[in-house]
Amino acid sequence: MAILEGRNLRKTYRLSRKNTVEALKGVEVSIEKGEMVAIMGPSGSGKSTLMHILGLLHAPDPNHGPAPELYLSGENVATLSDNARTRIRARRMGFVFQDFNLVPTLTALENVLLASTYAGIRGKQARQAGLEALTLVGLADRADHKPAELSGGEQQRVAIARALVNKPEIILADEPTGNLDSDRSAEVLALFRQFNREHGQTVVVVTHDSEVGEACDRVIRMRDGRIRDHGQNVAQVADAPATATPLVAVPV
Amino acid sequence: MRLLRDLGRRKLRSALTITGITIGIMALVVFGSMANKIDALVKGGSTYYQDKVTVSAKGGYMGLGGVLSTKMADQIEALDGVALAVPTVDMLQSDDSGAVNMGVPPMIDGFVGGATAGYETFKLSYATGRGLTAADEGQNVVVLGSDLAHQFNARVGDTVTLRAVKFQVVGILEPTLTAPDNAAEVPLAAAQQLFMKTLPSIVADKLSGGEIATGIVAYPKAGVDPQKIADEINASISGVTPMTGKDFDKQIGSATSMLNAILIGIGLISLLVGGLSVINTTAMSVAERTREIGIKRAIGASRWRIRREIVAESAFIGLVGGLLGLALGYAITTLGNDAGRESATILFDLTFGTAFSSVAFATILGALAGFIPAWGASRMDPVTALRYE
Repeated sequence: MAILEGRNLRKTYRLSRKNTVEALKGVEVSIEKGEMVAIMGPSGSGKSTLMHILGLLHAPDPNHGPAPELYLSGENVATLSDNARTRIRARRMGFVFQDFNLVPTLTALENVLLASTYAGIRGKQARQAGLEALTLVGLADRADHKPAELSGGEQQRVAIARALVNKPEIILADEPTGNLDSDRSAEVLALFRQFNREHGQTVVVVTHDSEVGEACDRVIRMRDGRIRDHGQNVAQVADAPATATPLVAVPV
Repeated sequence: MRLLRDLGRRKLRSALTITGITIGIMALVVFGSMANKIDALVKGGSTYYQDKVTVSAKGGYMGLGGVLSTKMADQIEALDGVALAVPTVDMLQSDDSGAVNMGVPPMIDGFVGGATAGYETFKLSYATGRGLTAADEGQNVVVLGSDLAHQFNARVGDTVTLRAVKFQVVGILEPTLTAPDNAAEVPLAAAQQLFMKTLPSIVADKLSGGEIATGIVAYPKAGVDPQKIADEINASISGVTPMTGKDFDKQIGSATSMLNAILIGIGLISLLVGGLSVINTTAMSVAERTREIGIKRAIGASRWRIRREIVAESAFIGLVGGLLGLALGYAITTLGNDAGRESATILFDLTFGTAFSSVAFATILGALAGFIPAWGASRMDPVTALRYE
């Protein structure tokens, strides 16, 4: 069953009065529940825009052509209000970005707990979930450190813990390894893989790193605002997921 | 507390902004206290003069000015509608006092103790000792107002010197926040003697000390409009100016409400400047935190939550500035009143209402100032905000 299904997804950005960029030119996409998918393509191909729409950060353009459709577990979310989309992001999705984007005045644990607060979870229960998430990414002993006291790889793992703390159905990551060296990248990928395998979370990774693509079940390739190749799920093809994707051991 | 950590990111800037509010609230507290004091003075005067007609020599005012005769009291009492008329002798305690003075200068008020009992509605109570009585006539005794007692550092039984004459203190008044606080009440005869000494001898020689008055206070019979008596006096007696409570309100009240408006206005202007600096500070910290707001929005913070965070921060700046301003204002008014006590010049009356409303005002101002940048921040597109450099 598709967890995310989109049709007629278009997005045009207006940079100035005369200058507009057609970032998505009518895309049809489907992501299965429990898949780990990479969206790849050169800069300006529309991969980030697609992720923003799939992650309900942006709504698809409603005009110019056939009406856009976007289904999250069968529910049409294409035309929801900002508040409704925010609520879904808080409760059902987890986000990881290239620049880690932690709040510098908050400790690692507090950063993780931001996501709990927004999802309406507070108190002891939230704290416990936060510590669990930090334990999962191997940073339980860094819970009280501020971002400035953590390395880049550690910061990104805190961001991943923040994305995981509410056990979301979908994790969306935009170039999560873009600012990390290859060892740290492998760690981060292994974490995604682990959650995908152990908790059945759907993972969508936007990347132009082919190693990331290889670590995923399927690669969607984009160019010029269109999907060129929907890819094939290697896990389903080979029916042997453990050997299909070479993994680096997680040093935690 | 997260709010404090956020404010601590730019310590100097936060401190300067808080200082701006502090100065504004300090000005509001100080000027507000001054306005309170003026209000209390005027209200006291207004109450005192409301039910009577105070007659002065032509061109004089409030029983001050030229010389009248005590016989005029009988003449006025004989008028229709007048229940009682008594002579008073009022003068400044010293000829140079009152030159630089806000409010009522220190006065010597001479009257026959108890003569107006049953007519006078302005009640005075005594902190210690007693009020003047008719039996005090011929004695050099005095009842001191509360500020004056502070100034002389005098207690009942002490001796104080008024215009080079020694008086024994028999009573000290409770504070009234108005004219009596600065007054020395003496028997009429004693006041007449003091007054005689202020006159040039060529004038004094022609007067009999016991007949001098500077004012006549007329009490109307029940139900009689004081204005009617004032009109009668104008019609039948020449060379005098009667004043009713309405006259007092018109002349003094309007002048002081203008002064109060100016004082409060100065305070509000300084606050406005402080408020603008809160807007500036909040706008800057919002700009610095654009990416942070973006990430918070992306991972599920609602617009309302973003607004609330920012407004809470600026309201907190307002609250801290307000409390500091109140503390400074309290210090200034207290020190000012202490310093003024020597010359019986109490300038400030810091009431609970003024203190509370100043701090509340600062907090609300801070919140309102934060609302402008907060609104903008909450409308930002999370993706754009995330990419902000």
